[in-house]
Amino acid sequence: MKKQIFIVPFLFFILILLAFFYLLMTERNPSELPSNLLNKNVPKFEANSLIKNDKFISSEEFGNEIVLVNFFATWCKPCLEEHSYIKRFSSEKKIRIIGINYKDNKKTTINWLNKLGNPYSDIPIDKDGRIAIEWGVYGIPETFLINSKGVIKYKHIGPVTEKIYKKINILIEKIE
Amino acid sequence: MIIKKIFIIFIFISQLLLSNSYSVEPDEILQNPKQELRARNISKNIRCMVCQNQSIDESDAPLAKDLRILIRNQIKDGKNDQEIYKFLTDRYGDFILLKPAFKLNTLVLWLLPLFFVVVGIFIIFLHNKKSKKI
Amino acid sequence: MVPYIGNLALWLSLFFATSQFFISKKNNLKLIKISVNGLLISSLVSFFILMYSHIISDFSLLNVFQNSHTTKPMLYKISGMWGNHEGSMLLWILVLTIFNYFIFKFCKKNNSKFVLKTLETQAFISIGFILFTIITSNPFEKIIPVPENGLGFNPILQDPALAIHPPLLYIGYVGLSAAFSIGVATLSLNNYEKIPWYSYMKPFVITAWTFLTIGIALGSIWAYYELGWGGWWFWDPVENASFMPWLLATALLHTLIIVERKKSLQTWALLLSILAFLLSVVGTFLVRSGILTSVHTFALDPSRGIYILLFTAVLGIYALMLFWKKSEKFFDNNYFAFFSKEGSILLNNVLMVVVCATVFLGTIYPLLIEALTNNKISVGEPFYNSTVIPIITPAILVMGFGPLMSWTKEDKLKIFKKIFPSILFTGITTTFIFLFYQSYSAVGILGIILAFWIISNNLFMIFKKNRNYSTSMIISHLGVGLLILGITGSSVWQKEKITRMQIEDQTKIEKYTIFLEKIDEIKGPNYVALQGNFLVYDEDKNVITKLKPQNRFYPITNNFTTEASIHTNLLRDLYVVLGEGNLKDGWVVKFYFNPLVIWIWIGALVIFFGGIVSISKNLKKLRILN
Repeated sequence: MKKQIFIVPFLFFILILLAFFYLLMTERNPSELPSNLLNKNVPKFEANSLIKNDKFISSEEFGNEIVLVNFFATWCKPCLEEHSYIKRFSSEKKIRIIGINYKDNKKTTINWLNKLGNPYSDIPIDKDGRIAIEWGVYGIPETFLINSKGVIKYKHIGPVTEKIYKKINILIEKIE
Repeated sequence: MIIKKIFIIFIFISQLLLSNSYSVEPDEILQNPKQELRARNISKNIRCMVCQNQSIDESDAPLAKDLRILIRNQIKDGKNDQEIYKFLTDRYGDFILLKPAFKLNTLVLWLLPLFFVVVGIFIIFLHNKKSKKI
Repeated sequence: MVPYIGNLALWLSLFFATSQFFISKKNNLKLIKISVNGLLISSLVSFFILMYSHIISDFSLLNVFQNSHTTKPMLYKISGMWGNHEGSMLLWILVLTIFNYFIFKFCKKNNSKFVLKTLETQAFISIGFILFTIITSNPFEKIIPVPENGLGFNPILQDPALAIHPPLLYIGYVGLSAAFSIGVATLSLNNYEKIPWYSYMKPFVITAWTFLTIGIALGSIWAYYELGWGGWWFWDPVENASFMPWLLATALLHTLIIVERKKSLQTWALLLSILAFLLSVVGTFLVRSGILTSVHTFALDPSRGIYILLFTAVLGIYALMLFWKKSEKFFDNNYFAFFSKEGSILLNNVLMVVVCATVFLGTIYPLLIEALTNNKISVGEPFYNSTVIPIITPAILVMGFGPLMSWTKEDKLKIFKKIFPSILFTGITTTFIFLFYQSYSAVGILGIILAFWIISNNLFMIFKKNRNYSTSMIISHLGVGLLILGITGSSVWQKEKITRMQIEDQTKIEKYTIFLEKIDEIKGPNYVALQGNFLVYDEDKNVITKLKPQNRFYPITNNFTTEASIHTNLLRDLYVVLGEGNLKDGWVVKFYFNPLVIWIWIGALVIFFGGIVSISKNLKKLRILN
């Protein structure tokens, strides 16, 4: 009995080592934050639209086809960098994109879109950031992929890069 | 040289006005001190997602400010603490809670320290028993 | 040219470490001396060459380019050398070779086998770290073409406390390697020569513990003064990585006292010596492997993580298998009553280890949950407060009267008589303090009781004519009492006021009136700042101080920082932070009234001082031994 107790520290250590190896091997990105809304329905919200006279009502807009939702603002530099990819989603993939304008100025946004091109089919205004909170947004830009049933299937935090563009394209083909 | 200095200070001030807010601001504070205390306590338990090691109570980040205001509005609307926490975890996940919730996946976390203490006491008892033998 | 010598020196140190490893298996003291000295000199050379490159801003070195800039003040050019991953590895290696040298200094004819075995293990550890540095983190890597200037350095890290923080911490971590090597040597040699291994281990453990204490304290001091919200401990994984070895080192320190005196608990001490250093290395792993992000972590790189984990595995498996097979020989039959000096130290040990296990659990739990369930959770301050405080409270209570107890067995009535004055004193002071501060909370009362319990017991020990008590123990324990006093006061009685002020407005906090004189634009060496000028008046309308919080902008790294302005005295800190604002709307200002904060730092310093006293006493003892 006495001798057996001395093996305990060794065993514990092996256990902890295995845990650490497992942690290393699984491809984790510690700075990547999860989305709690994955596989859940799109949050319900209403907002004024930047470009249309009618209000934007979420229940009417989602649940019909695949949609991309892109949170953006004119004052956000990464949003500027990713804008070409957002346009490519619209022009190449013919996918409907809703741009949620976050804490921005109406006039500035309209000018920005006129200058750079508008890929959005509609632009609900999120003046105080409440809509973003409903979507669990940390900061902009963030892009969500919604399937035809109105379920959030994928979220990307930060600007869309070439890698993410390809990834989202693959996902679009896979989901319905 | 002077022009450069003024330019830099100008950029600095404009940046300040544009992006930064500095944790709980006087205009956020609720009139009712009890409600304000509740708001502070809840905020201290909510992680600032875009900071390192800060609760939204301490943080300057814009998201932190938005969440602080949201919590105060919900308190004013009569929501209790549980409901407010649920609202936040529904959208941001359990990660946003600094004090881990007492759920199935945190059972081990909360019970193990107790287990360690029991093992510790057991070791001391074992020793005590042996020493009484002398 | 110079960096080539640096790189060569690094390779040379690898050579000497390897030669030390093989030569130590033979009994050739002359060759060992050459290896030890060669190892020390080559690591000194590589260290100072990197420092020199930083001082002259040699941007041909990738390390200098990534971490420095010509406008950085000289002090931070120097300390910046060890403030990054690659440079810090050179510091780690240097401290390893210095401790290696001191181990060698103990070598005499009658203990040569023992010391050589220790040197063999120490050499292996050195090889591991030097190889790691050369393969994954070589600071002498070049960059072509040579850039004109560097990427600068994070301005919040440009602080004197933070500058000296790494070297002090590393003396702690690396000092534990010496304890580890001695432990391994003791276990593998079966101690046929009856060498008092604990007398060799003790000075290293005390040194490591002492510097780990001050290293951790400086990190907290920096956080309090620099980060702008008065916090000083966040249970950040990297902070925990320094706290855990500290806990085990404290336990080991106390156990060695028993081992020396009574030869009891030897197996326990040997186990602790292995675990303490293993935790240091695991800490290194956590910080540099990329499995977690934190303000403290260095650049993420999975290959580094794999290497360090493998190295930890080799060290740990070897040492713990050795412990499994060989430690029974050291298992003693010297029993003691639970109610005795040894018993109280054993209780302290068990509780320190339980706290250590809890902190370890809290640190890796989020990682495990995420890997297993893909769900991310946080384990923050509330968890640690709910678990650590209840566990450590009995340890602190026992700490009050433990030193007063006799060896082997203590009489309960006798000890009660001894501690009765302190019970009285604690009761009186606690009541008095609460009447004065008029704020009642369970944690506050507990904290004050614990603080004065420790303080009174140790003060009475000083005044007792019976000089049987160790001076360093009394000093360090007193320091703990002061530390608890500071922690309790600053957490429980903190007052805060947030308000908006225009120029020439005034506001009140506690008994102070604060007047905003003006807002200035200040230019610093590598920053520009907006500064608030506040006059602080006491209740008699006298000016106590001028507080000048700043908001700085560092153009080169594009960083904003807030610099709090603090007025300190023994009773409280007045802490002011300037927020955003403009001339029209006024400025948001945050005031903190933090009672007793300075006692946290004083307490830590006193603990450190006790350790220094102990180190010098132990060195004297060792000279006599040899």
